[in-house]
Amino acid sequence: MTIDMSQFYQVFFEESAEHLAAMEGLLLGLDIENPDSEQLNAIFRAAHSIKGSAGTFGFSDLAETTHILENLLDRIRKQELELRADMVDAFLESGDLLREMLEAHQGRGAVDPIAVEAICSRLRQLSTGDEASSQDSPEVSAEIVVPEGPGPLAHRKRVFDIQFVPTEISAKGDGVANLLDEFRSMGALEILSQPEAGMHDVGYWQVRLATEACQDDFSDQIDFIAENGAWRVVEDMSVSNDGDSAFGFFGDSPGAPDEDRSYGFFAPLDSTSLEDDASYGFFEPMPSIVAAPDGPSSTNEETDGYGFFAPLPTPVAASPGLEDGDGFGFFAPIPASAESDAQPAHVNAPLVVQGALPPKVDSAEKLIPETRVRSAKALAPASASTDSSIRVSIEKVDQLINLVGELVITQAMLLQTAGQMQESAPERLINGLAQLERNTRDLQESVMSIRMMQISFVFSRFPRVVRDLSSKLGKQVELKTSGETTELDKGLIERIADPLTHLIRNSLDHGIELPETRIAAGKNPVGTITLKAYHQGGNVVIEVGDDGAGLPRNKILAKARERGLPVSDQMTDQEVFLLIFEAGFSTADQVTDVSGRGVGMDVVRRNIQAMGGRVDIESILGVGTRMTVRLPLTLAILDGMSIAVGAQTYILPLSFVMESFQPEIGDIKTMSNQARVIQVRGEYLPVIVLHELFNIKPSANDFSQGIMVVIDADGIRAALFVDALVGQHQVVIKSLEANYRRVQGISGATIMGDGHVALILDVSAIAGMAKTSVQKAG
Amino acid sequence: MEAISHAGGAMSDDDLVASEYLTFTLGSEEYAIDILKVQEIRGYEQPTLIANAPPFIKGVINLRGIIVPIVDLRIKFNLGTVEYTPFTVVIILNVAGRVIGAVVDSVSDVFSLTRSQIRPAPDFSGTFDTKYILGLATIDTRMMIVTDIERLMTSADMELIDSAAE
Repeated sequence: MTIDMSQFYQVFFEESAEHLAAMEGLLLGLDIENPDSEQLNAIFRAAHSIKGSAGTFGFSDLAETTHILENLLDRIRKQELELRADMVDAFLESGDLLREMLEAHQGRGAVDPIAVEAICSRLRQLSTGDEASSQDSPEVSAEIVVPEGPGPLAHRKRVFDIQFVPTEISAKGDGVANLLDEFRSMGALEILSQPEAGMHDVGYWQVRLATEACQDDFSDQIDFIAENGAWRVVEDMSVSNDGDSAFGFFGDSPGAPDEDRSYGFFAPLDSTSLEDDASYGFFEPMPSIVAAPDGPSSTNEETDGYGFFAPLPTPVAASPGLEDGDGFGFFAPIPASAESDAQPAHVNAPLVVQGALPPKVDSAEKLIPETRVRSAKALAPASASTDSSIRVSIEKVDQLINLVGELVITQAMLLQTAGQMQESAPERLINGLAQLERNTRDLQESVMSIRMMQISFVFSRFPRVVRDLSSKLGKQVELKTSGETTELDKGLIERIADPLTHLIRNSLDHGIELPETRIAAGKNPVGTITLKAYHQGGNVVIEVGDDGAGLPRNKILAKARERGLPVSDQMTDQEVFLLIFEAGFSTADQVTDVSGRGVGMDVVRRNIQAMGGRVDIESILGVGTRMTVRLPLTLAILDGMSIAVGAQTYILPLSFVMESFQPEIGDIKTMSNQARVIQVRGEYLPVIVLHELFNIKPSANDFSQGIMVVIDADGIRAALFVDALVGQHQVVIKSLEANYRRVQGISGATIMGDGHVALILDVSAIAGMAKTSVQKAG
Repeated sequence: MEAISHAGGAMSDDDLVASEYLTFTLGSEEYAIDILKVQEIRGYEQPTLIANAPPFIKGVINLRGIIVPIVDLRIKFNLGTVEYTPFTVVIILNVAGRVIGAVVDSVSDVFSLTRSQIRPAPDFSGTFDTKYILGLATIDTRMMIVTDIERLMTSADMELIDSAAE
């Protein structure tokens, strides 16, 4: 019975890549002086997951390297070794190598075996290098009972009962054997129940582990091989705390000094019950094996009680109240039935446990404070499962978006038709349509959000970029990011990564000075690069700022003249700074392998413009530079204002609209009797008359009959004269070029509620047209 | 194209394979186009004007969510009277991966024509360049101009496509 593992390879590759990315992120976030044990554990888990699945799928090179990596990590997280910066470096490097191996297994590129060997020996050396500082070895004697008294909780042995049903795949791939090895390395392991030999480890497993490790250390590993929810770990407090031979779940009842034997499941801890009473817990599978010798004797005693699901307080309260100390808790004390059924219940107990289903477990958990602790701990894997995702091809999503777009149009069409019927439309129809509108809008929003991704997807790669580059350049740089949760269309996310990397490299290379220079300038030797994302209007704004040297205006101007670019001293700072986006422009004194060739910034601007965004620079010499990238939220939908010109309707993207007003005839002045300007808030703006631009017969005969819309495109402001403002819509952008060709001044088309096509104005181009016409006139 | 070169030659298997052609009229002339290029035929609706477009490009319409440009072949070739009535017909063509609507006077028939039935057209100069004409076919007494509609629609003359527009 062989399973074709190759069908799961893709999943493995994707998962491992995710684990590697997570590991890298965590490594970069580690505070070396004072590492957070949670983070170390998470790194360890990531490495372990890769090792586990690599082993399962037979990628032995990956498994071996991760194994060595994991060993070192394990010692660090157990505080046997101090975390050092060179270790983090080694981890990062091995992470890179692992990624290469993954790529190689996918048929892309090859792995350098020498590099692998080098990193492996380095990791080995790191993990054995500091043997002296190692504290207690993980080896734990098989002795379960170690009376310690109520000492500090930190370093005491604890006993866990672990039950799990491994998935078929992991069981067949030695997953269970690996897990058991793992347990053995943590402490004493006792296998209480295991599937029959012929079952290839598939089936119900029950083991008991006495270890110093805490539950979190191994619960993930169980989760890894077990089916979702098909595992549980319960800590057996009684054994660890009191050296009591009783195997009650969570100890037995407090009435122990008396004759009474209350057998509470999940009964509270009891430090005084030292006699050899035999407690039988319901969720306690142990008696069948360990307590077997006690079994017959205890059942012979009259005073034996069996509590099933006895909630924590019940035994305490109940035992004094019951005659002769007989405590029987079956949720509530039902002495008669419990006593008479004592024997059968005892016999049945292990069976019930083994057949226990998750819902039953849950109900038991609700009763018991102790188990709440467990369920709280289980929250981590639980939240991981709610984060789970499915991979869907982007085509399907786009198809969905298109269909919803159609639905929105149809819905608007219906609404308009009903509106035209006016009073003759039945109220129920109107109500239904209103509901349809709401539902459609919700549907559209959620469908659009499928394509939305957090920008942290891009940001997460930059700590590494900054780290590598700053050490290469001998600079000290701190990267601060904010607004990682800002959402952006997936298409944009993918395309913004490269331009942003360029901007950051540029800031690092040209912006941030060397530490000596910074000290001389009275600055903190550690430079700061800030990466910030936020929403503004219909845009996503991403800022890349540094507190470096700033842009040297004179140097840029001189360089521009040298290159024969048309520049003048009258240019504004903004215009001068934008020169650095010209192709082949670089003010770097020397070309480094990082930047300085003048290739890149022009590509950055071109890429950003191609996405419908723009980039601005602000800089103060000696203080710093801030580059602001503005991107549209999505490529598919646009908030637009519909305007009327003659019989035609056009859509003006709302993000470009500043204000609108009704002009007086006298407001419009002419320059050289050709170019018209209008004064708006103290500023003269060129007037663009849309019907003249588009050769349409207007319905407004003079300026006082129409509306001026002030538009702002790439810093160029102009007043657009239109006949009327019609309304505001969210429109689905359709390509005009798919079946036709590019039209100057038009960026696309959309379908209005009545089914007609409306063209979307390309505001930048229109503002540009106005600029050239003004320049011609001037 | 091959039809022209083969037309005078001996009968080959190719000549016996008949293709279906849709015929439409522009003024008094009758044109035939490969029916496989035709997506559908629909009535004329007022399209959305495109600024600064040539007069024969009437604008764009919404064809079930697709933006489709509309060309009036009567204006382009100066044939027939240009008026838009409820009976004005638009042939939606699927050529070169694009969807384009063409306004014609009327759609008449669908014919099967073998290559041998398509005779080469004589050279002449006019608005309708002979390079778009595959040949002439005669059914009964009617002469039909068999047109390479794909080549016509993607040509620079039609100003429908960016690359060809230059």
